[in-house]
Amino acid sequence: MTVSYPIKGDHLHKRFKNQIVLDDVSLTLQEGEIYGLIGPSGAGKTTLVRILLGLEKADSGKVELFEQRPTLNAFRSLGYMAQSDALYNELSAYQNLEFFASIQGMRGKEKKQRIYEVAKAVDLEKDLKKNVSNFSGGMKRRLSLAAALVHRPRLYLLDEPTVGLDPMIRRKLWTLFHYLKGKGATIIVTTHVMDEVAQCDRVGLLSEGKIIAEGAPKTLTEQYGVPSVEDIFITIEKEGAKK
Amino acid sequence: MRNLFAMARRIIRQIVRDKRTLALLIIAPLLILTLVWYIFGAKTSEPNLAIIHYESSDYLSAFKTSDYTRMSPLQARQSLADKKIDAYVDLKNPIKVHLEGSDPSRNGLAMSKIQKSMQTIQQLNVTSMKKQLTDVINAQQKGIQAQQQTMKQMSEAMQRYAPSALTSIMQNAPKTEQPNQANAPDKVKLDVSYLHGNDSLNTFDSFGPAMVGIFVFLFIFMIGGVSFLRERTTGTLDRLMASPIKSYQIIWGYMFGFGLFVIVQSFVLTCYIVYVLNIYNIGHLLDVLIIVFILSFSALSLSILLSTFASNELQMFQFIPLVIVPQVFLSGLFPIDTLPSWVRAIGNLMPIHYSTEALRNIMIRGTGFSGWWLDGLILLLFSVVFIVINVLVIRRSRPIAD
Ligand SMILES: Nc1ncnc2c1ncn2[C@@H]1O[C@H](COP(=O)(O)OP(=O)(O)O)[C@@H](O)[C@H]1O
Ligand SMILES: [Mg+2]
Repeated sequence: MTVSYPIKGDHLHKRFKNQIVLDDVSLTLQEGEIYGLIGPSGAGKTTLVRILLGLEKADSGKVELFEQRPTLNAFRSLGYMAQSDALYNELSAYQNLEFFASIQGMRGKEKKQRIYEVAKAVDLEKDLKKNVSNFSGGMKRRLSLAAALVHRPRLYLLDEPTVGLDPMIRRKLWTLFHYLKGKGATIIVTTHVMDEVAQCDRVGLLSEGKIIAEGAPKTLTEQYGVPSVEDIFITIEKEGAKK
Repeated sequence: MRNLFAMARRIIRQIVRDKRTLALLIIAPLLILTLVWYIFGAKTSEPNLAIIHYESSDYLSAFKTSDYTRMSPLQARQSLADKKIDAYVDLKNPIKVHLEGSDPSRNGLAMSKIQKSMQTIQQLNVTSMKKQLTDVINAQQKGIQAQQQTMKQMSEAMQRYAPSALTSIMQNAPKTEQPNQANAPDKVKLDVSYLHGNDSLNTFDSFGPAMVGIFVFLFIFMIGGVSFLRERTTGTLDRLMASPIKSYQIIWGYMFGFGLFVIVQSFVLTCYIVYVLNIYNIGHLLDVLIIVFILSFSALSLSILLSTFASNELQMFQFIPLVIVPQVFLSGLFPIDTLPSWVRAIGNLMPIHYSTEALRNIMIRGTGFSGWWLDGLILLLFSVVFIVINVLVIRRSRPIAD
């Protein structure tokens, strides 16, 4: 059985001025998994995601999307949710989704149906007519997620999708992620909420530009003999200090 | 192409739903142009003038009561100090003018009025001299007539007593010619003809073409620049970059989307100044529209380009003194012939310079297509260059080839 790699980063290096943000990071996603990228704020999670997407150029290293060099067409199968909401505040929620669906090549009835579908998935179907400027932070976050889902991508890159959402909605979204995964999608999620970590198939721990540990959450905690993934950061830090 | 239209449609929706932007785009230029029209287009007010020491003057008739208040010297000096009058004329010989002097334009008005009166004085002088001359001539003619009378009597006497002597005298006498009637001096009057425009052309008429360019450019620049900047700062541009849309579709989407409002704005503005403010225009409305339209695109594409170098709205607005103000001064609003050549060279790099030239040709000089095609072409070139650079800039920030 050949395993396909929806996204692969190879020996990525990135520095901003004289600050090294990514220091030889390699990661490969398996099809159909939820990969959690965790690490303290400033660790370089966003930078890594942006490089994988081709929004930022790595100083060295290479990125493959669906086993080939990234092309514009590959973006059709890719849903990106940025850390900022990236919505048009003057437009209604519907018009926002309609625009993002259009530039992804969706047309007519299919587009319309799909918009209602994703709005329902993020619990915004009653707010579609509202102006985004009147949305609360959580509503914007959900609309932003809906915009990343609207064209049924196979690969999702979600940068802190649940930040600022209340636990109920957060749980609902994770149900959604598992549903998407069940339909064959691959998801990479950055987060620093630890109870979300347990829901990932695999996690990568990013600290100071390096992936310091990678694997299924359970395996990792057993390997390091700690109660939670969070503690791995502390353990490794201690080890580093000993050396 | 579909992506491009999706972009354009989104921008149109954004502007339509944002009433402030819409107002800024369409109504604000009208308001400002109206203001400018009031300032420059109003008939210049008459200067307030006075005369003193007029009682014994021969020239009083040149200073009509409606134009010159009669004042005592003390009164006049006081009024001048209080700025109630712009100048007063002292009619004591030699005539002296005292100006208030703090406002050059009022000085000019006062002086031109006074100079007109001085012309009348000269005419008065000429007439009185003519009258004196005529009197002298008349007196002389009377004397001559009397002499002729005497001569006639003498010759009658001679004919009677010495006819032969008379014949020889008559033959030797120089032939006298009746003096021609003295030619009346021609009335000195200037006959002015205008190659372009006419004498009712006011400051607004000549400023108008430049003003239209400046305001269209300013507002499109602000709105276009800010909306593209927002695309960057809110992250929606990243979302676009992570989609299959091509770089040129993003930029052209902007051009098309704004294009609609630019058409509406150009149309409303042009009709407003031509039909409501009645700016002097002998050219075709369509020609004016085309130039305003092309200019807007250069403003839009330039603003998108400069928004790359701004990281927030304030920084975008900081470009205005850099981009707009020099254009105002070098646009042709003020004569630039005397400026050093490097300043004029900078002027040649400014879109408004060309729109002003083109609009003056169309509206005031009435030259048709031949008068504006070159300026129009240059404006178009500006847009094309800016658009190409914009596409390249976006493409460069996108590691993935498109
Ligand atoms: N465009 C940039 N210019 C300079 N420094 C940057 C830029 N983007 C990110 N950084 C720096 O890179 C580091 C990692 O940032 P980021 O990837 O956003 O971290 P995270 O998403 O894990 O919080 C931070 O120290 C940040 O200041
Ligand atoms: Mg981040």
